[in-house]
Amino acid sequence: DDKLLSEPLSHPDFFNVKELFSLKDLFDARVHLGHKKGCRHRFMEPYIFGCRLDQDIIDLDQTMQHLQLALNFTAHIAYRKGIILFISRKRQFCHLIESTARECGEYAHTRYWQGGLLTNAHIQFGPGVRLPDLLIFLNSLNNVFEPHVAIRDAAKMNIPTVGVVDTNCNPCLITYPIPGNDDSPTAMELYCKLFRMTIIRAKDKRRQSEVFSELR
Amino acid sequence: MAAPSWGLAAARAGVRPRLPAARRCGGAPAAGPPDAGVLPQQTEERPGSGAAAPGPRQVPSEKSESFASMLRRSPLIQMGPAKDKIAIGRIFHVVEDDLYIDFGGKFHCVCKRPEVDGKKYQKGTEVRLRLLDLELTSRFLGATTDTTLLEADAVLLGLVESKQTKQKE
Repeated sequence: DDKLLSEPLSHPDFFNVKELFSLKDLFDARVHLGHKKGCRHRFMEPYIFGCRLDQDIIDLDQTMQHLQLALNFTAHIAYRKGIILFISRKRQFCHLIESTARECGEYAHTRYWQGGLLTNAHIQFGPGVRLPDLLIFLNSLNNVFEPHVAIRDAAKMNIPTVGVVDTNCNPCLITYPIPGNDDSPTAMELYCKLFRMTIIRAKDKRRQSEVFSELR
Repeated sequence: MAAPSWGLAAARAGVRPRLPAARRCGGAPAAGPPDAGVLPQQTEERPGSGAAAPGPRQVPSEKSESFASMLRRSPLIQMGPAKDKIAIGRIFHVVEDDLYIDFGGKFHCVCKRPEVDGKKYQKGTEVRLRLLDLELTSRFLGATTDTTLLEADAVLLGLVESKQTKQKE
């Protein structure tokens, strides 16, 4: 059992998440397109490649690295049977995210976030509630273009977060930010597909490893 | 300019240019194939639509293209300022009289259903647009950042010509 959990940690990319995406896939899904210059958040400047006719372009080389780290982390969490919660407040993609979560066997919250869902969980849901082990933000802003409350709450509750940050978002409190477009349907479908494939791959790997260890 | 303008017209017509591109590029790195966003010679530019794939690659490149070079050749950059450029979009959602059209930019645009041939504008129809702005943003008084509408702005010109000519016949 010990070996089951410690073996994946010795490899830098145990689940081979690098092969799931390529620079061309990200480019074709319009992940590099950002908002206008006036909407730019100061802390996103390191991730921006440049500004073309007032529109920010996100550096896909950095996005590739961040995406690989984030997917690797998600895979490890899924391998260790962690609970993953997808969060987004964009109504356009709410259905897509909920169906992605259902297909992975994980959870999604794409509706209004009540104040104490994480911080006041024991009173709102009853004692002995298990909180999610990872929050994945596919849109880190809420409907009024402010950072989603769950980012701050997850940081308070020591829950790691993975989040797609666009040029108008604050990447500060997110553990594994992924600089990229969060407004185009092609980009969102790509992220959902990647997260779904990593989680399913990690879970299958876990099942396989358990079967092998039982055989021994 | 080494880039041929016929490649642009051919890509729009759906014909895939095969050998000439590879031969022309010869010793140049495999990042040669003309995609729809080729440098035009006319004043009126026609960037590739969101629906059309960016240029076929018949020669699998061993050395993959860098992001900077992909960006430089992309239709969005080759197009230049979006004001008054003609683009082809596809309707992906219809709400009674509002058509939500995706033309390959970050955002979609929303146009009113025109009176001429109104019934022909359904989900999946390809239309011609004159782009005005890729993202509607504005800085209001007292704000620190721009307020964005999360929409592009375009004028609907009509259905894609080939359909109309086919129907006339």
